[in-house]
Amino acid sequence: MMWKERYRIGVDLIDDQHRELFKRLSNFIRVVQNGEPWDEKLDEAKDTLGFMQEYVVYHFEDEERYQREIGYPDYEEHRKIHAGFKAEVDEYVRLMEEEGFSEETMQELAARFMTWLIMHVGRADQRIGEYARSKEG
Amino acid sequence: MKVDHINAFYVAIQEIFKLMLDLDVEKGELRIVEDMVSSKDANVLLGITGDLKGSILFGFPKHMALEMVNIMSGVDMDEIDTFVSSALGEVVNIIGGNALTSLSNYDYICNMAPPQIIVGKYKSISMASERSLLIPLETEIGKFDVNVFLAEAKNIN
Repeated sequence: MMWKERYRIGVDLIDDQHRELFKRLSNFIRVVQNGEPWDEKLDEAKDTLGFMQEYVVYHFEDEERYQREIGYPDYEEHRKIHAGFKAEVDEYVRLMEEEGFSEETMQELAARFMTWLIMHVGRADQRIGEYARSKEG
Repeated sequence: MKVDHINAFYVAIQEIFKLMLDLDVEKGELRIVEDMVSSKDANVLLGITGDLKGSILFGFPKHMALEMVNIMSGVDMDEIDTFVSSALGEVVNIIGGNALTSLSNYDYICNMAPPQIIVGKYKSISMASERSLLIPLETEIGKFDVNVFLAEAKNIN
């Protein structure tokens, strides 16, 4: 289980989507790390990567919309961080489409995705929750 | 090496270990070592340039490296493969970034090279033949070492 209660920001829409994003990342990691021969699981690894990428785009859009709705002051900076990460993942995938989906590059991408998401949800996104609470209070 | 330099890294280690791994970190007794050797199973080297120049070497024993990645991923790991070593490299990279941000508050502007990951014990690391500081650290999942060698750029040439 990758999701931890301390990742909650206190906004149900965002917390539910974060849970789903961690679930899809966890599925990707499990396929990449399950010890089965790479050529036998390559299609599954690519599928789980695709599901994760798809949800990242969906979630970033929703989270950015929520930030605009509440007038989050760091919206522009946060949007740039999202765009930068999405571009980085897209670049990994583009390179692998050219050079082949190697096990090592997929493992590297899984590690990068995992640490980025933990830090982003654990720190940057917490500030959205703090701001939302400060407006309510 | 000043206390502030060492402390910037120690504080960053504590903060990032808490945030990413939910672990507290205790510092043991610092000691001076003659050279920097990657003596653990998984080692991550950070090169620092700018107002301070030098290297920071993190060394993790295998069981701890695997447990750290297990905490983050929720998946049991049994070998230091690319996934594990990349994840460790990322954690150390984040720690380094945080430390450099806090050093910039003391007007030291530094850059960091991408982390170099060295798997396997006792590989020599070529660097300035200066003594470095070894910081033994302890968490509830194991002990690890951080070697710090940093010199003010204006003092070395």
